[in-house]
Formats: sequence, structure tokens, C-alpha cells
Amino acid sequence: MATKLNKEIIALFSNDDSTKVLATVNEHGYPHAAAKPFIRVDDDGNLLYLELVESSRTQKNLVRSIWFDQKVSVSVSDKSGQSWQIKGRPVKTLITGPIYLHHYRDVRKRLGDVDLSAVWVIEPEEVINENIQVRHTEEEALHPLFRHLDRLAKIQP
Amino acid sequence: MSVALKLVESNESELNQVLERHPEFPRLVAVKIDAQRRGVHYTEEVLKVVDDSVQMRSPYLFGSRDGEIKDLPESLLLRDGSTILTDPTPLAQNPYLVDLIDGKPALVDGGQFVEFVDFWPKPLYYDKKTSTGIHMSHIVSARPQRLNVFQSSYCYFWAEEKGCKFCDIVTHTKQQKDELGVPSRLKPQDISETIGEALKEPGRFTGICLTSGSVIKGQELFDREVEFYIETLQAIGENFSSKKFPSELIASAFNEKQLARLYEQTGLTGYTSDLEVLGEDKFNWICPGKAKYVGYQEWKQRLVRAVDIFGRGNVGTGLVGGVELAKPNGFTSEEEALKSTLEEAESLAENGVTTFYIVWVPRPGSYFKDQKNPSLDYFVRLAQGLHDLRVKYKLPIDYNDYRRCGNHPDGDLSRLL
Repeated sequence: MATKLNKEIIALFSNDDSTKVLATVNEHGYPHAAAKPFIRVDDDGNLLYLELVESSRTQKNLVRSIWFDQKVSVSVSDKSGQSWQIKGRPVKTLITGPIYLHHYRDVRKRLGDVDLSAVWVIEPEEVINENIQVRHTEEEALHPLFRHLDRLAKIQP
Repeated sequence: MSVALKLVESNESELNQVLERHPEFPRLVAVKIDAQRRGVHYTEEVLKVVDDSVQMRSPYLFGSRDGEIKDLPESLLLRDGSTILTDPTPLAQNPYLVDLIDGKPALVDGGQFVEFVDFWPKPLYYDKKTSTGIHMSHIVSARPQRLNVFQSSYCYFWAEEKGCKFCDIVTHTKQQKDELGVPSRLKPQDISETIGEALKEPGRFTGICLTSGSVIKGQELFDREVEFYIETLQAIGENFSSKKFPSELIASAFNEKQLARLYEQTGLTGYTSDLEVLGEDKFNWICPGKAKYVGYQEWKQRLVRAVDIFGRGNVGTGLVGGVELAKPNGFTSEEEALKSTLEEAESLAENGVTTFYIVWVPRPGSYFKDQKNPSLDYFVRLAQGLHDLRVKYKLPIDYNDYRRCGNHPDGDLSRLL
């Protein structure tokens, strides 16, 4: 089921200084996570991943994902501690047409003489806030026993 | 949902049954095969959303299943970026419908949604003319990422009534010439100008393919055909800064001297010479012209020798998949046909020649016009079998893959290689 990305996440993807990591899985189930600076959010709220290398491992794993309905994961974070994970499905890959051609021109304008193999459309299905403070708060509310005793001691070591 | 959608009932629910039998086979590739196998019919509803950005049917080497030249969309793209090369088919033959679902074009079968599809985008050069006043779309036809040059669509085997029995090249050429004014032989300068114009569209194309009918004339067999290709490729090459450019020539089985000339004197990078059907007796029956002038074993040997010139992974042979089951002399069982075809393909793969297929469509202008192509299950197993050989022998198919060609289901599987 598709889910919406909030404004914070969209802004984070728009920021060139954010770190974006796309994780896919190969045919043997091995994860493959790689930093991918070219991930955007389109007007429909889907993630657009620009694949620059035709025969990359990520590309092959994405092909397998769209063929066999497997999920992928995208993480985005910045130095301020904002950190989100989006799980979703590749639903389309563009190798021609106006959207593809727009990104082809754009990526060459930014990087020079590079190629663009495909624009992958990833539909978000689950959004997880990975900010450590948020995760701690959630954890303590849900699992109050999951903590070391020294943290509760009268005299802090 | 349109009226047509409700009227047509599918008499085959073959797609889902086949996918249940082959869970490891990608559904989208099976959909592509089946749309090629059965053809498509565009509903009136979907044609209402076709605008000027859509590539309409342009000159092609072969005709369509309905035997007509109509102003309809060229073909379709699936959401995995793969191309479906299919053509309009009479409703009586039970094609897939291309209809509107939620305002978007989709493949529909038996009233059931199958997949959303996109039309091919029209390249900008399609609206231009060469300096000699010919529509550029009549000179070079486009696929989503490839440029096709059909420089001469006459095949000399037909002159002796020895044309391949599945082929309608000459019938269709005459029809295109009469109805559209498409020249049956192109001038290198017109081709070069058109390619130059196409290259002004950044990101639009990744390869060029040249093909035409066989020309047996010349001092040595096929010399004139080779000469024409060299002249054309050199004219195309004027548009590139590098000597070599991604390209495929689908041509007759040339001898080593001819192949060396093509490789050394032009920018050509890939060579395909179609055996069309594997197995000597089937080849002799279905391709009598090729059998008479070259012969099955020599055709194979010429492919193998081409590997020494173009390199492993840059030489292949195309099959008209399924024609080995044509009546009355074809295989009588799909099992037998598959076993024989894959054994022969392996003998080529061992020597660095890759084999790929297109789905056989019995066309009205061909000798086999009244026949029926095999089951979807057969085509799925053929695609998997050819792909498995490519894996086993580590044979790449970069020059003729889902993007640079798009017409080979087995080649689509190689996206995972």
C-alpha cells in the first residue's frame, strides 16, 4: 500500500548534502547497499532513482525486484541527525520519454560526460523515522525493560 | 471501460497457467511474449488519447498481422522498460486489447486488466525531411532507444521463389511503396542526414541497426550487398567522433574477407546473420534460398568465423521462434522442437555465437500465412533455454539487448547477467 512522504523527507531528498543509500537484494538474498546521490521525490510522491550505470548490481537487483515484486529500502539522512528509512517497491523504469530525457540532460549538465541508464520509480510503502532520539523515545515507551540498570542507578557511574 | 472490452471474451487463460508452471520466469517478459504471439487491438477509447507525441506506425521491413497499413500507434512499452514489438491484429484472432483503464493505456485480456503500457514516444526527427525532400521517418525508423535503417527491402531469394516461408518482406515492400511512397532502396546521404538529425536528441538512442534483404549479386556471392552496407555505414559514420559506434548489422552470411572489410572499413560493432530456424532439414525446407546459396553447415561456419573478427558476444543468429513447428514438415511436438533447437543453439554458443529469437507471427503476405504459432509455454521455455546457454557460456548480448533491440524475450532475461 502506497504511503505519503512528509515535507521534511521531501526536503531532505532535495538537499544535495544529504546522504542517500539504496539497498537492494541479489538473487542469492545478499543485500547490496550503495550510496546514491541521485534520488529525488517526484510530483506524485514517488522516489525517482537515477541509475547511471547500465550493468550495475543495483540495476540488476532492481530489475529482479520489478519482475518478482520484491521490496527495496532507501535511507536518507543529514548531519543534523535527521534520518529516515523508506521501504518501497520499484513500480516502473523509464528508459525513454520526457521524464527520462529531462533527467538525462540534467545529470549530464551536473556531472559532464556521463550516461543515464534508467529512471526508476519507487513507490513508498512504509516510512520509518530513524532519528536516534525518536527511536529511543519509541523504544522506552514500547519496551521499558530494554535498558541497562546503570542508567537507572541513583549514582551515575 | 470501453464497450469493446466487454464484448471480447478470451478463450485462453494461458498466461496465468504458464506462470504457475514457471514461477521463476518474469511475468512481464511472459506478457511481452504473449502480446507478440497474439497481437493487439487498439480500442476506439484508447485511440482518443493518442496525441502528436506518440510514434505512429512507420515503414518497417515486415508487414502486420492484419495485412494493412493504418495510422495506429507503432507499439508499446512495459513498465519494466522493455519493448513490445507487436502489431494490429484482427479481433477474430483473439489479440490482447489495448484499452483505457483509469484513463491510462493498458493491456486487457478477456475483460481483465493485465498491465499498464506506454506508447512509444515519437522522435523529433520524424517531423522533418531530408534535403532531397523525403520524410526522415521513411528513411530511419525508431524504436524507443534504437534507430533502424532498412536500406533495401528487396530480397533476391524471392526472385527465384526461394524466399523464407515465414517472411513477407517483398509483399510488404510493394505495399509500402504503393500506399506510402516509401523508397524501396535508400540513398546513403539521406540516411546520414537522418541519423545526424536523430543525434540532436540527447538521450534518445543507444544503437543503430541496419538490415535489408539478401543480395546475391557481385563477383563473389553477396559482394554487392556488402558494398552497399559499407557505403551506408561509412555515410552514417560521418556523424560520429569515434570510428566505432554501437551498431548491429543483420545481413546474409558473409565470408571472412567480406566480414573483415565490414569491420575494418566501417564503425560496425555487431554482426547478426539469421539462420531463422535450427536444424538442417528444417532450414532447407523453410529457407530454400539460404540453403541453395550458402547451406546450413556453411552458414553456421561463417557465423563462427565472424566471432574471430567481431569478438565473442558481438556475433549472433536470430531465429523465428516457433517456425520449427510449422506444418507440414516441422516438428510435431513442442518438446522435440525445443530439445533440437537448444542442442543446435548450444553448438553455436560453444563457439561464441549467441542465439536469440523473435516470436513467429504468421503474416498474411507470407507462405505460412494460414498457420498458427506455438503455445506461450513453448516460447517461455525457448527464452529460458537460450538465456541459460548465454549464462553457461558467459556470452554477453550487449549489442542486441532489451534496449538496443527489444525484440528478443531471451535477451530481456539477460538484463540480469
